[in-house]
Amino acid sequence: MADDAPWYEAALLVGVTNALNVVADSPLESLEPASPGAEAQAVFAEIRAFYDRTDVPVAFRRVAADPGYLADVWGAARRAFADNTLTRRHKEALAFAVSVTTRSPFGTAFHLGEMRRLGVTERGAMEVLGVTQMFSSYTKIADTLQLEPDMDHLAAGDPSPAPGGAPARSRSRPPEAP
Amino acid sequence: MPTVRLRDAEEYPEPIQKLFEAAKAWFKYDFAQPPAMSRVMAWDPELGGFHGRAMKRAMTPGEWTRAEKEMVAAVVSGVNACAY
Repeated sequence: MADDAPWYEAALLVGVTNALNVVADSPLESLEPASPGAEAQAVFAEIRAFYDRTDVPVAFRRVAADPGYLADVWGAARRAFADNTLTRRHKEALAFAVSVTTRSPFGTAFHLGEMRRLGVTERGAMEVLGVTQMFSSYTKIADTLQLEPDMDHLAAGDPSPAPGGAPARSRSRPPEAP
Repeated sequence: MPTVRLRDAEEYPEPIQKLFEAAKAWFKYDFAQPPAMSRVMAWDPELGGFHGRAMKRAMTPGEWTRAEKEMVAAVVSGVNACAY
């Protein structure tokens, strides 16, 4: 299980990111309570603290009419985005990539903002965007031609540790890449 | 099953075959045939050259490690439901 932890975390993060985005990007303004009750306000306070901001992201405001549901959605989101095997900074990069890929205006802007707030530079954001764009190209080429996987054993060597993992052990192939 | 006939490396012009040799060095793997995606991109070298350089530039370690970038690539591929 431990070896799979980064991938479990990434997959759960993708799901939670998409769940927040679909609500935030849908025309659901009419569901936002004008005056959220005390229970919802308590959750809002946790959200503001987690994101270090004065407002509450729209994805959470939209579900505040049911404070119990809001609390559970927030609990899942907080867990998904908190530092764990993967860092919060890296998780925001993954969420940004997912949001760009799924064309989510809310998610794209929100997670780009979170990356910056957590110290990612413009160059770092551009790196994530570049990977997202390149793989949005390759995946569509592969799907259009119905290519079958043939690269799973070919990944170029890399000395850096897996995200959240220990440094790579000795490999049969040298780590340097052009 | 691919919808096009994937050419063997030997069917490509000499300059392209040199690129395939460079790919072997990059992957440090002596494959019988280059990966399908490499052969597809080599079909139009004028496009594939630019695209390949952009890809290599995007994946080169910088502010993010190669491993972190591979995970970004994996989630993008997953969201796009691409098995390749």
